[in-house]
Formats: sequence, C-alpha cells, structure tokens
Amino acid sequence: MSDDKSKVTDKAGEIAKNIWLAGVGAYGRAVDEAQTNLKKATPTPPKLFRDLVKAGSALEEEATGARDAALSSVEERISQVRENFHMQRLARIEDLEGLHSKVDKLTRKVDALTRLMKEQQAVSKPAVKKKPAAKKKAAARTAPRKKAAAKASTKSGK
Amino acid sequence: MKTRDRILHTSLQLFNEEGEEQTTTVDIANEMDISPGNLYYHFKGKDQIIAEIFHQYEVALSGTLTAPIERPLSSPGNVEENWYYLYVVLEEMYQYRFFYHNLDNILQRYPEIRRHFKRLIQLKRATLYAICQTLIQQSVIDTGEQQLLGLVDNMTLNLTFWLSYDQLLHDQRDPSVSIHQGVLQLLTMVAPYLGDDQLSFYRDCEAIYASMLEEAG
Repeated sequence: MSDDKSKVTDKAGEIAKNIWLAGVGAYGRAVDEAQTNLKKATPTPPKLFRDLVKAGSALEEEATGARDAALSSVEERISQVRENFHMQRLARIEDLEGLHSKVDKLTRKVDALTRLMKEQQAVSKPAVKKKPAAKKKAAARTAPRKKAAAKASTKSGK
Repeated sequence: MKTRDRILHTSLQLFNEEGEEQTTTVDIANEMDISPGNLYYHFKGKDQIIAEIFHQYEVALSGTLTAPIERPLSSPGNVEENWYYLYVVLEEMYQYRFFYHNLDNILQRYPEIRRHFKRLIQLKRATLYAICQTLIQQSVIDTGEQQLLGLVDNMTLNLTFWLSYDQLLHDQRDPSVSIHQGVLQLLTMVAPYLGDDQLSFYRDCEAIYASMLEEAG
C-alpha cells in the first residue's frame, strides 16, 4: 500500500516537474529564441550557435539563481506567516487574560474603596449625616457591599 | 533607488490603486515629479513598463511556486507549513493585483503576457498538485485520483481568480482580510478530505476570519 502510494507520488512529482519544464521560464524562452534566431540566420551558424549557447546558459544560470534565492525566501516568508498566524490566534487567549486582569484590578479597587469607607466611618462616625453615607455605599456596590453592610450593622449594634 | 526602478515601483502602485487602464505615462511622471521626457528616456511607453513589471512578477511568483515542487514543504509533524505557504503565494499575487483585476482586458492587449500568464497558471496547478501529493503521502488527506485532479483544478481556479472576485464583491477592503479569506476558501475545499487533527487548524483559520470581520465592523 505505502509502496503504491510512494510510486504514485514519484510519478506525480515527475509530472509536476514536467509541467514546470514545459510551461515555464527560461526553458521555453530559450527555445523560442533559438527557433527565431535559427530562422533568421542560416549563413553563419557557428557564431550564432556560440551566442545561443551562451545566452541559453546565462538564462539557465539566472533561473537557477532565482530559484535558489526563492527557495530560501519562501521558507523565510512561511515562518513569518506562521508567527503572524500564531499571534492572531494567541490574541484571543490574551484578550481573555486581559479581561481576567481587568476584573482582578476592579475587585482590588472595590476592596480598597470599601476599606476607605470603613476607615472614614470609624473616624467621623458622629459627624456623618445619613445621606453621604448612603451615597458611598451605592458607589461601592457589588459583592463587597454586603461586607460593608454587615460591618456597619455590627458597628451600629455596638 | 534608481530612476528606472522608481518608475517601475510607482507604476505598479498606481496600476494597483487607480487601475492600469486609467493610468497614463504622464500620470506616472507627475506622481514621481519628473518630466515625461525623463520617463521616456527609460521606457518607450506604458507597454514596456507593463512588460517589465510582468517579468518581475513572473520571476518572483515562479520562484515561489516552484518551491513545493522542488521539495515538500512539510514533514509529517508540521503539515501547517503547507497552509502558511498559501498565504505567501496570495500575498505575492496581491502585490501585483492589477493584472487580476482586469485580466481579460490586459491579456487581450498584451498577447506576449498572455502566453506567459498561461504558464503561470499551469505552474500554479503543478504546485497545488505537488502539495496535495505530499499531503496524501503523509496521510493528511485521502482522495481518489480523479477527485484529486478535480480538487487541484478547483483550487487553481480559486487561487487565480480570488483577488478579482474579492474586489468585485467588496471593492477595497483590508488586504489582510482578503488574503486570509482566500486561504480559508482554499482550505474549505481541502477540509472534506482532512482528518480531525488538521481540522483544528481549519477552525483556527475560521475563528481568525470571524474576528477580522468583527474588527472591520
């Protein structure tokens, strides 16, 4: 089974390569040039032939050079895309982490506010009117409110 | 940068952004703050500029497309390399997108480019075929021979005309979104043949696309 598969793949590689050779780049161009030039000038073939060979191998060199450069640049660019992709994917997880840390910060603030309120109440309890105290309580709503309320009630119980 | 290269660079930019047919050599000279005479010293006309830009594109894209034919991009452990590679190809095509935006028109006016463009498409097909063969060999996908040929042709079709389809449908949108969706579409064609492991990559790709759309509002 695996033998069959690799046989198919070898053949495919060959076909793919043949398509490339037949269809693309220096090979085709060199042949075209050779044909037109041959049509033009039959009288002095040796010089022309030399020129053609020179032109052909120059083209081949250019193509090979370009291919080598392209191969390494493709690998480089793939790794850039990979990085980019991972960053975008991680961004979603980071967003969640960011949200967590925001919630943590807010919770700490609420705690601090509650503490502050408690201290103020302790210091200036007799002078405080009912209204501002109620306002502060409203500002520090959510979970800690219960705590504050509970503390307040114990204090008033004293 | 030499004036000659600057002319090519500016032309490519104007062709991509304003359209090739609407851009004249005078526009190009104006954009660069040089005299049209100076431009004609380097290029006989727009035809020659376009031929040169196409040559650049052909050399660059052929080089990129040949890589997976020369040797597989992935070993069994890192199949993702093949998917990342699709981004590379689409990014390169995007740099020269004006050819695709007005393809028939350009190919009719420049028969020489037509011949070479056909080769590029053949090469694309050969490249995608080579990639799919690697995936079969590494047991990532499983297709019959006939299915495989159809799959490769569909992928080639999609890859070739994605940018013009995208532009028709969305006018100008963020290139990263166009390119990402292009890759996602190609993966969608492979997805029915993928096993669970590789589907997770596909899902990541989907999720990134969804968040891109959200960001674009």
